[in-house]
Amino acid sequence: MKVGIVGTGSMGSTHAMGWAETDAEIVGFCAESVPEAEPLAKKYHTKVFEKLDQLLSEADIVDICTPTYLHPTQVRQAAKARKQIICEKPLALDWQSGLEMLRACEEAGVRLLVAQVVRFFPEYAAAKELVDSGQIGKPGTIHLRRCSYRPKKPSNNWFLDEQKSGGILMDLAIHDFDYARWVAGDVRTVYTQKVSSLDPSSPIDFGLTILTHENGTLTHVTCGWAYPPPNFQTGFDINCERGAVHFDSEETMPIHNLIQTDKDAPDVALPGSPLAESPYTSEIKEFYRAICYGDEIRVTGMDGVKAVQIACAARESARTGEPVQIKPLEGVLK
Amino acid sequence: MIKIGIMSFAHLHAEAYIQNIRSIPGVEWIGFIDPDSERVKQFSEQFRTWGTSDFDEFFAKKPDGVVICSENNNHLSMVETAIAAGVKNICCEKPLATTLEDAEKIVSLTESKKINLMTAFPMRFSAPIVAVKDQLDRGVYGKIYCFRSENEGQMPSLHRKWFVDKKLAGGGALQDHLVHLTDLFRWITKSEVDSVYAQSSQCFHRGEVDVETAGMAMLHFKNDCFATIDCSWSRPDYYPTWGGLNFEVVTDRGAVQVDAFRQNLSVYRHDIQNQVWHYWGSDSNQGMIEEFAASIREERPACITATDGLRAVEVVQAAYESAASGKTVKL
Repeated sequence: MKVGIVGTGSMGSTHAMGWAETDAEIVGFCAESVPEAEPLAKKYHTKVFEKLDQLLSEADIVDICTPTYLHPTQVRQAAKARKQIICEKPLALDWQSGLEMLRACEEAGVRLLVAQVVRFFPEYAAAKELVDSGQIGKPGTIHLRRCSYRPKKPSNNWFLDEQKSGGILMDLAIHDFDYARWVAGDVRTVYTQKVSSLDPSSPIDFGLTILTHENGTLTHVTCGWAYPPPNFQTGFDINCERGAVHFDSEETMPIHNLIQTDKDAPDVALPGSPLAESPYTSEIKEFYRAICYGDEIRVTGMDGVKAVQIACAARESARTGEPVQIKPLEGVLK
Repeated sequence: MIKIGIMSFAHLHAEAYIQNIRSIPGVEWIGFIDPDSERVKQFSEQFRTWGTSDFDEFFAKKPDGVVICSENNNHLSMVETAIAAGVKNICCEKPLATTLEDAEKIVSLTESKKINLMTAFPMRFSAPIVAVKDQLDRGVYGKIYCFRSENEGQMPSLHRKWFVDKKLAGGGALQDHLVHLTDLFRWITKSEVDSVYAQSSQCFHRGEVDVETAGMAMLHFKNDCFATIDCSWSRPDYYPTWGGLNFEVVTDRGAVQVDAFRQNLSVYRHDIQNQVWHYWGSDSNQGMIEEFAASIREERPACITATDGLRAVEVVQAAYESAASGKTVKL
């Protein structure tokens, strides 16, 4: 099958590496401008599409790796062209748009696969499997931590524009909101406080959230753009009735590099321990198998929408200082 | 010589404090009173010391100071008894009281009778925490925005049954573990809590006790700092240590992570087929009891007061109210 990649930033290039490991053909890249897409097109010996329409006319699968605020229009356009769709997280900036995107894809009879990549990180997948096995009982309290530095793009830094990225709760904490749901089920109440809501001029951002799940589990989510580059720390504790699972990216780092360097940290930090296969590649491979053979996947379009819904509630709570209730979405789609 | 004794061995910290008191030069350990004669027998034998269940006998030893380690709901009556017997210096175990009324009574009593009452918040004497506080005070780490923190532990009924008794302890995990970090953040930010959101559950040791075993709270301070605290009894009974206290302070220049009980040896033991952590860091209880002794010697108030204890009680009560209503509670 032929895949076209839209967006050539850190996610576009990371996904391209994944696609290169499949038997799909990368038909080309599309970015905001031709020069932006040229380096990747050259690397993968393929072409640059000036417009999304041109890419859609040649691709079977479209992989959308653009800034979040562009997702709804591009997904709808791709659905209209009846292409199979992979969309980077967050699916949209609000859950209502997410639902519409899901509906558009259903009507067009195409799949919408949301790249909630944390589900493909082996440490996160293993912990989920351990909890599901029933060996340690039901989760009582969960801690999920994810902190790095502010994305630093030389120009047009859409990450820092809350209108375009949704800010730290939407762009970063959404990974853990989704993971919390995956492990402990749907969420009932969200309470959040966030540095930039209290001090918009702050040079860092940090958000703390308490989720109450439908089943009574309490999840604490930490997200930060606060550490000096190149730090990126993730971690979790899943404390259950009959045991507990603990993970910390620093404690489990198998290599400590103390070599002097003048090299700058990347613009956007990506977490990751050395692995034979990158979790991003595992994700692309699973999505590709799902598209080719209808294989089951671990994350649905609705999961993508519900993660956005929690992030929206967290943003609202940070703004109002009050807990926000989550509206059940079951049945809304039909 | 300054004379110090302990009132009640109900709280297991008494077992640490007796050794702290005995090791201070210029301080005379006079013994202890415990209304429970079983405990008098057990601990006078264990620590080879004098103990009595008769208050008059105890106060006849003329203590300059007492350390109260009774069940939480008995703190007020212990304070009243000590003051009535002429004791001028009291160190009272946390939480200061199980109700707002009791805590307020203790504060007004100590104020009207000019009593030096120190609430036992030993974490203010933790060497790693003192080091971080010092850098924060000097502005080295920048301006404080928020804290993420955990004071998780094993279920304390492993050591003392009354810790899970609603009446004697005043509640469960929220009552037991919210006050330490609340006090630290008040101390570090020099600001007061103005709103509290909390959730609790009985997910750990379900069915074994009738108090909450899990709790998470978000505090907001008058100066706009905020903090989350997990105070759950989430550590399994076979965890390598009793629990821990750690926090991350986030500033405009980044973040600092502090684990107050990280200074451990990992010990592997054939006899228990498990790993245990052997703590080798400094003893914060020692620092706290030394400050109490110094305040008596220098005839000044200790650096932690009854009001500090009351402020923490206010937060705990607000947390219970929020957990019940699902709303934020303003102070």
